[in-house]
Amino acid sequence: MTSPIHGAGATAPTAPPAAPPPGHLGLVMLGLSMGIVLMAIQLWLLTLAFNLYLLGDRKGTVVAAIVSGLVFLGGLAMLRVLRWTSQRR
Amino acid sequence: MSTNENDEILSNRTSEGRWHVEFPFEWDADDLVSRRQLLRWSVWASGALFASTGILAALSFTRDRRRGSLAAIVKASEVPVGEAHYFSYPGPEDQAVLLHLREGRFVAFSNKCTHLSCAVYWSKERGRLICPCHEGVFHPETGDVLAGPPPRPLPKIELREEDGTLYAVSETLT
Repeated sequence: MTSPIHGAGATAPTAPPAAPPPGHLGLVMLGLSMGIVLMAIQLWLLTLAFNLYLLGDRKGTVVAAIVSGLVFLGGLAMLRVLRWTSQRR
Repeated sequence: MSTNENDEILSNRTSEGRWHVEFPFEWDADDLVSRRQLLRWSVWASGALFASTGILAALSFTRDRRRGSLAAIVKASEVPVGEAHYFSYPGPEDQAVLLHLREGRFVAFSNKCTHLSCAVYWSKERGRLICPCHEGVFHPETGDVLAGPPPRPLPKIELREEDGTLYAVSETLT
């Protein structure tokens, strides 16, 4: 839990994490922005799939699921790339 | 106001006031969420969205597009041309509408609006099926959406005429 800073028995706050290497922050921000945009697309795909499901369009629902899966795989790949670049530095 | 009371009020306004005793938490103790963590969570959220879409796709293979069994509706002669007859199909709670569009031309639809399930009615003056809740308009021949917010056409009910009586055969989603 927390340790009081004021009063008796005070401990110093933990040091903030070290700054990322130059250029790496931009990469993370780019990944984050892309992730949020793609997630919005996935949310739209989910509503589209639900609509198609209610319509009885099996093919359309499957296509929406595949596209959503590709977006998810893209996100996983992006995480891996970021981990790889941070390890390389 | 006494000096002691003033001191107490002042001490309550400082960072080490009474509230600090009652709520002994510091900003520094708050969990830091890094951009990288947020990115990781967003990818897991993306996975959850994919899983939901995948479940819908899997369910679409088990969903029957037709439902209902043969049921008598009304005698064809009891519905004049241009008029509608409301009935329940396939279940007693499922309202439907039968239209006599031209001589001998009958069509039937579920009259539950595909937007928010309001009851659709036949407007003879406009020659359209109307949802009064949000002005949804459906084509009487096909059940297709002509105007308004409904996202899908009305489910169509297949009809059969035998010995002057109209029967509902099944309800089809498209």
